[in-house]
Amino acid sequence: MSTTPIRPPSVRTQEEIAARVKALEAIMIEKGIMTTEAIDRITEIYEKEVGPQLGAAVVAKAWTDPDFKERLLRNGTDTCRELGIGGLQGEDMVVVENTDTVHNVIVCTLCSCYPWPVLGLPPNWYKGPEYRARIVREPRKVLRDDFGLDLPDSVEVRVWDSSSEMRYWVLPLRPDGTDDMSERALAGIVTRDSMIGTGVVPAP
Amino acid sequence: MTGFRPDATELGDARRRVEALVCDLPQRPGEKSFDEPWELRAFAMAVAAYHNGQYEWSEFQLSLIESIRQWEADGGDADATPWSYYEHWLTALETVLAGNGVLSDATLDDRTRDVLATPRAKNHHEPHYEPVAVDPAR
Repeated sequence: MSTTPIRPPSVRTQEEIAARVKALEAIMIEKGIMTTEAIDRITEIYEKEVGPQLGAAVVAKAWTDPDFKERLLRNGTDTCRELGIGGLQGEDMVVVENTDTVHNVIVCTLCSCYPWPVLGLPPNWYKGPEYRARIVREPRKVLRDDFGLDLPDSVEVRVWDSSSEMRYWVLPLRPDGTDDMSERALAGIVTRDSMIGTGVVPAP
Repeated sequence: MTGFRPDATELGDARRRVEALVCDLPQRPGEKSFDEPWELRAFAMAVAAYHNGQYEWSEFQLSLIESIRQWEADGGDADATPWSYYEHWLTALETVLAGNGVLSDATLDDRTRDVLATPRAKNHHEPHYEPVAVDPAR
């Protein structure tokens, strides 16, 4: 076989190339060359390394800059863009804030809508029918049994359904004992799951 | 119980197997593995197709080296064609699949246009302004 590239890399937008990867996957699966499950198994190994550092930077800034936080909660899409973080056109991002009395968690009940620009690739369980159904029916139990997050009864749990037009993500609570930490150091402790709402940011 | 999450040991073993496979390839730049979700998808597809016996790993390796070499031969001009390791990766994957007769560039171009023209989730375009579920404090 020839090893000459059939088409040299050219300047393409991220959207175009993402579409090309998606098209390639669809063709390969139709031809029986690989299965979605086989690809998922490999992406699973690395999924935490994609993207969530951008969301973590936004969270850290919101924790340290009250004006930024206020803007972020009012208009997530535009405020993320201040930091050069943005998605494909037409998608609004809404940031919901955790407090001492309210815990938020996100889902896409229909498919796997997810705030990619800030959180990267959705974990496989986020896309699965089990999480999508159960987190709506019994959120408190799913958080406790499946994610080890045992919320006090005094906390209300709100589940937000993302769609392709409006994608939610969570501004987690800043843990105690972090007053002396820099914005950069704070970004380092924010986890992906805390921005989905299936976890909280652990105290360092 | 961690119903949705695979066991950490199992993932660690799987990762070591994949890392053993990619350690002979031209190195990924920087310490961060993936900047965009499609990069990981393309990465995983190349490994999955290899596991499925679609090509020898050395074929993919040569193809990746060749794509990068050609970019460098063209001057490696980051303004004209910005460096993107995973674009080379994708080119290498397309090249070996085409070389083995399972993919044509035209088919992929057509399919890509379809994807770009299709909303990612039909009938799923209404924003949902209220929580879909609330479990009140007690």
